[in-house]
Amino acid sequence: MIGALVYLQMQSFKNRLRMRLRRLKQPKYLVGALVGGAYFYFFFFRNVFVRGRSITAASETVSAETLLLFELMGALALFLMVLSAWIFPHERAALLFSEAEVAFLFPAPVTRRTLIHFKLLRSQIAILFTTFFLTLVSGRFGHGGNVWIHAAGWWLVLSTLNLHTLAASFARTRLLDFGVSNLRRRLIVLSVVALLAAAVLRWVKSSVPAPEASDFADLEALKYYLRHALESGPALYALIPFRLVARPYLAPDAGAFLAAFIPAAALLLLHYWWVVRADVAFEEASVELSHKFAERIAAVRAGGGWHSAPKPKKRKSAPFTLQPTGASAVAFLWKNLISAGHAFTLRTWIFLAFFAVCAGVPLGLTSSSKGWLLPAVGVLTVILTGYSLFLGPAILRQDLRQDLANADILKMYPLRGWQVVLGELLAPAAILTGVQWCLVLLAAATFSRFPEDNPIPLSTRLSLGAAVAIIAPMLNLVSLVIPNASALLFPAWMQSGRQPVGGIEVMGQRLIFMLGSVLVFGLALVPAGVLFALVFLLLQIFLGEMLAVPFGAAVASTVLAAEAALAIWWMGRLFERFDLSAESAG
Amino acid sequence: MIEVEGLTKLYDKFPAVSDLSFTVRPGEVLGLVGPNGAGKTTTLRCLSGIIPATRGSARIAGADLAQNTIAAKRQLAFFSDEPRLFEYLTVWQHLVFTARIYQVDHYEELGRLLLAELEMSDKVEQLPGELSRGMKQKLAIACGLLHSPKVIFFDEPLTGLDPLGIRRMKDSILKRAREGAAIIISSHLLHLLEEVCSHVLILKGGRKILDGTMVEILQKSSEHAGDANLEEVFFRATGEAKANA
Repeated sequence: MIGALVYLQMQSFKNRLRMRLRRLKQPKYLVGALVGGAYFYFFFFRNVFVRGRSITAASETVSAETLLLFELMGALALFLMVLSAWIFPHERAALLFSEAEVAFLFPAPVTRRTLIHFKLLRSQIAILFTTFFLTLVSGRFGHGGNVWIHAAGWWLVLSTLNLHTLAASFARTRLLDFGVSNLRRRLIVLSVVALLAAAVLRWVKSSVPAPEASDFADLEALKYYLRHALESGPALYALIPFRLVARPYLAPDAGAFLAAFIPAAALLLLHYWWVVRADVAFEEASVELSHKFAERIAAVRAGGGWHSAPKPKKRKSAPFTLQPTGASAVAFLWKNLISAGHAFTLRTWIFLAFFAVCAGVPLGLTSSSKGWLLPAVGVLTVILTGYSLFLGPAILRQDLRQDLANADILKMYPLRGWQVVLGELLAPAAILTGVQWCLVLLAAATFSRFPEDNPIPLSTRLSLGAAVAIIAPMLNLVSLVIPNASALLFPAWMQSGRQPVGGIEVMGQRLIFMLGSVLVFGLALVPAGVLFALVFLLLQIFLGEMLAVPFGAAVASTVLAAEAALAIWWMGRLFERFDLSAESAG
Repeated sequence: MIEVEGLTKLYDKFPAVSDLSFTVRPGEVLGLVGPNGAGKTTTLRCLSGIIPATRGSARIAGADLAQNTIAAKRQLAFFSDEPRLFEYLTVWQHLVFTARIYQVDHYEELGRLLLAELEMSDKVEQLPGELSRGMKQKLAIACGLLHSPKVIFFDEPLTGLDPLGIRRMKDSILKRAREGAAIIISSHLLHLLEEVCSHVLILKGGRKILDGTMVEILQKSSEHAGDANLEEVFFRATGEAKANA
């Protein structure tokens, strides 16, 4: 039976690989793969070919004492991870299977143990992949002969953790069946941990002189305390199994690795025995888990987030009453604001604005007082405003990107393409603008001093604040146009298609998209920036700087509005010609 | 009225629908049948403006779908086999949104009537996630009928409905036809089509291989093989039975 399951895994892997290779015939995937490959080469692999031995020498200088400290820290981290498996989860044991696997394997004459073996086999693929990446990320590829030691070390750590998590879930379920509730289990585990912590503290207190404040300035003193606390007394015994697991990864040579490998492998086998011997019913919970997982995958493929699907949606009140007649774009604004949720009702905005004024003004009025609070709040709000411009479109996806999965409905509506596009862009633009206006209010009220205590006059703050408030809506619209236009131009890049996407080529595509977005946004700002400068230079002569800034911003905003209008019209044409079936077919 | 002339849809070079021409007058119900991959859904998606046709033309209630898209779309409704809904809008919010899109001024009264007809009056505050598949289908139908379309396309309309729902759906289709709507139904349920449709069009490999009124087609077939039904006509026309034998 296990042969059939191995066959399933191997064939699935081969077919996925073949599909990806076939996809490279499309230029967009080929270019993505090249860019993704180049990224990996320059970021991870170049060391192997260029620096090679020099790094080996550097790695060999790591002292035995430092390695021991790493081992203790690693053991502590493993201890916390294992502890979390006994404290946090509350559900019954469930193995994650795909819906197809549930449909085929659960009614089939397959024993529970075989299902566990299948699950372990499949988790090994993920573990090997993670091992490869962790070995890359931890820089070990450049460390000469240690590459395989570190890879094997990572594999041991991950495999043991995986088996322990599974075994713990079985044990938790068994405890539930015996009438030990989650709360009781947690209390027992926490009590044991508290006792252990108390014993360790007592040991440290009695055997090491109490540290003074100056000791913490010195890394060596800290190391000493850590070593003493973890390498002697009760912690020594509590951490033994965790140190055994962490040790092979840190082995400096093949001999040390072999010596460390044997006890670690024995521990791994012990876990394996524990898992396969546990006869716990996991099927029902697994069916539910696989269903939730499928919903999450569907949500991600539809352009949503990983957490957007699994929980049942809550009813959300409408932000305003939608009249049956009027501009159709408003209907999309209404719909997408509902999608955005309770956080973006009119009441919330009024509260935020009220807070910005009520908290900011009194703070700002104390501008003469010294201290770090005012400049800190001011700098933070300015930074947040800037970041919101770039991060906002990536976070707020209540637009075409969310609705492309429903493109069939949208295309059926008796609307011009630009009406749909404009409507879809309004909600995130409005939300972002609201956030930025609140931040501007807060910044204008609080940013009364620079960190070096140079005061910023109220007139300057009002002038700059007004300029930002004027230009923000159009800046947001332009910044939102870019990812939405990309979704229409390259639906497969934006995960709006029905087929699964992933791999190095998709990573490359996203890199291209990110760089392209920055470039396009920069280019879109050029005409607005030039006009702003001209208007500012001209008006400051007649009106002064304070008035010239918001006037310049208004003119720049008009330019951006014109750009956004052109882009929306063009995107509308794209939308009218948009053929998702052709994308899916490709 | 639906007038289709030389409709062709290519995916790259593959012809999903080839040179399809037919007419459905007000009050007529055309059954679109064919084996899997015959091009039925593609035809309906082209006719409802969801995907662009590669060649040919389609007029919906007198409006050319390519030239006068908006006017054509105002007159049509398309119900796919899988109801597509906005997961964060309640049943009533779906109707409010649809009303604004189609500018249906008196939607409240119409909406309540439709929901009552579809036995969904007690579900107005529910989200699609809380509805059964059949109920979702009904909600999609309520949204589609809110603007009183003159042309209606159904793609496998009975999927997921219980026996009572199937009966109601058949009655509803016939009622719309009596009220003057031109209707196309794509389905594999040939007995349903035989009950509901006035006309039949059989597609295979994207091409029309047979069309006419239900009576004509059944009569012609019975001349060859005694008492014929649509199932036999279908198998004879498509050669499916022969292929399976």
